[in-house]
Amino acid sequence: MAIHKLEVLVENEPGVLARIAGLFARRTYNIDSLVVGPTENSKISKMIIEVSVEGHSLEQVIAQLDKLINVIRIEEVLEGAISNTKHDTQPDYQN
Amino acid sequence: MAHAPTANGTAMTGATSLVKSLEAAKVDVMFGIPGGAILPAYDPIYDSTIRHILVRHEQGAGHAATGYAQVTGRAGVCIATSGPGATNLVTPLADAAMDSVPLVAITGQVPSVAIGTDAFQEADIRGITMPFTKHNFLVTNPDDIPRVIAEAFHIATSGRPGPVLVDIAKDALQKQTSYNWPTTIELAGYKPQTQPNKSAINDAAALIAQSAKPIFYVGGGVIKANAARELLELAQLLGAPVVTTLMARGAFPDSHPLHLGMPGMHGTVAAVTGLQKADLLITLGARFDDRVTGKLSTFAPNAKVIHADIDPAEIGKNRYADVAVIGDLRETIKALIPALTATLAKGRADLSPWLASVNKLKATYPLGYDTPADGALSPQFVIERLGKICGPDTIFAAGVGQHQMWASQFIGYEKPRTWLNSGGAGTMGYAVPAAMGAKVGAPDTTVWAIDGDGCFQMTNQELVTCALNNIPIKVAIINNESLGMVRQWQTLFYDSRYSNTSLESKRVPNFPMLAEAMGCIGLSCESPADVDATIEKAMSINDQPVVVDFRVHRDAMVWPMVAAGTSNDEIMIARATAPDWDSQEL
Repeated sequence: MAIHKLEVLVENEPGVLARIAGLFARRTYNIDSLVVGPTENSKISKMIIEVSVEGHSLEQVIAQLDKLINVIRIEEVLEGAISNTKHDTQPDYQN
Repeated sequence: MAHAPTANGTAMTGATSLVKSLEAAKVDVMFGIPGGAILPAYDPIYDSTIRHILVRHEQGAGHAATGYAQVTGRAGVCIATSGPGATNLVTPLADAAMDSVPLVAITGQVPSVAIGTDAFQEADIRGITMPFTKHNFLVTNPDDIPRVIAEAFHIATSGRPGPVLVDIAKDALQKQTSYNWPTTIELAGYKPQTQPNKSAINDAAALIAQSAKPIFYVGGGVIKANAARELLELAQLLGAPVVTTLMARGAFPDSHPLHLGMPGMHGTVAAVTGLQKADLLITLGARFDDRVTGKLSTFAPNAKVIHADIDPAEIGKNRYADVAVIGDLRETIKALIPALTATLAKGRADLSPWLASVNKLKATYPLGYDTPADGALSPQFVIERLGKICGPDTIFAAGVGQHQMWASQFIGYEKPRTWLNSGGAGTMGYAVPAAMGAKVGAPDTTVWAIDGDGCFQMTNQELVTCALNNIPIKVAIINNESLGMVRQWQTLFYDSRYSNTSLESKRVPNFPMLAEAMGCIGLSCESPADVDATIEKAMSINDQPVVVDFRVHRDAMVWPMVAAGTSNDEIMIARATAPDWDSQEL
């Protein structure tokens, strides 16, 4: 079971945490850990979500997260890597 | 209707700002019921050029907005008060989310200081509807109203369409504000991709040209993208067979020789088997729903998949896509046609053996039904005659159950937006209010609701709305005194133990009298010999809603059938009867 760490930028609006938690619950994705904090821009918050992917692809989790209007950007954090893997928030082509 | 645009910066209440915003969004009609929290908005509605249709139940408002949207392609609008008014919209919102219907629902909320106190008629409708709205808003500042309304319509109608709910606190409606309709919409997290990627188009064209057994798997997205004409051109260019899902009936003409019919649980043998035996699925705006795929691991086992959709999250959700094309389907098909033309010019597989085999299935296993020996009325016969007599310009809205499947099977659909139903959610009670909304959206077109006696008893009160608002729909009740589809499952899977599926009587309620009580014309028919004359009589009445009670025999079953959770290879053409595969070569 692979655990992936996602850095998610969201609009700092009431209900955003409920939208993300609700999405994970209703689509049976597992959150291993979740940290929410501010960014230098007061209108944007950052979430670090560790998701254990079992029976779903990481791409599917990211694609569903990205459908939330308040989600601005999703990046996968790779431990030891110099930079994060950017996931195009509207993947136009995947194989 | 032309509205004099209101100048930005004009002072007014939040309520007036809401109505001016709806006018600016070019809303011409909305369906709703007032109540305490939304009452401030109803005062400026009284003066507005927007037609407000007072329904009898908020669920009717929601489904009517859906019927309107499905016929016109524009956003349907419904409006309700807080608490129970808002929660009564939950079912139509869930229904619209499942079928990708553009809807904007406006609800009143208790005053902002009372939110969270369990106030009278308070319900957290934003929280309740998060799972099945495309997005929703809670507005407490009146200055936000125009921007939120503009965003709501943009989100509902762009990308993959869907329902958006705007909940507005009562005090935000009452306070003074300055009206400011936005000139641009800025949503940092919402930029749907409409133009398909060129390399994906080329890869799709290459895969199609190599395929010896391609099939077009067409979903409701083709209708939403207004791409039926482009689909026809693409299908004829390739000359491959086409199947249209329950949501896509009318996207490709039923009379076309390449059309194999509907796939899925109650699909034709040719459509179901065509998908199973294909080596390439050209999937256009469909989502590999369980009712189409049957047991997923055995669905189309030898096929590669091209999956074209506006929603990136549909790619790979249920079935791996060898080539994914994200974008508006009309743009996608328009790009695919020249790409495929160029690829096919370099060489193409011979599709004639494949076409011969699916056409043999189509000829060997046409849709059909048994006529009862005692002369009782067959539901399939009634529905078939409705289709034949009313013709391909008529709009049909079905409820959910056996009559819905028969209406999909036995009526020929030639044009998009002439077949409306609740496909994903399977909402009993959809038909009458959806037909009402459809008639409002297409007042010059004949609109029939085909409903079951069980479904009809859930939402028939909207016939009062129809009678009083000059919305002359026609309703065919397929009255088998049963919850027929559930009864069919009990026959097949529960040893004919009919637990709570009998509605006991074809006479109670007396549907023609009920119709008359609601201001409609009530007719009835129980003999095959009277069917045509009854339909023609209903067709001759255009100034009042008409309800026809077709009293049909209760043991008719929907065939073919792939039982839930089984493989499409297990399709049965009648009870305990599988197609004769040994005589088929595929």
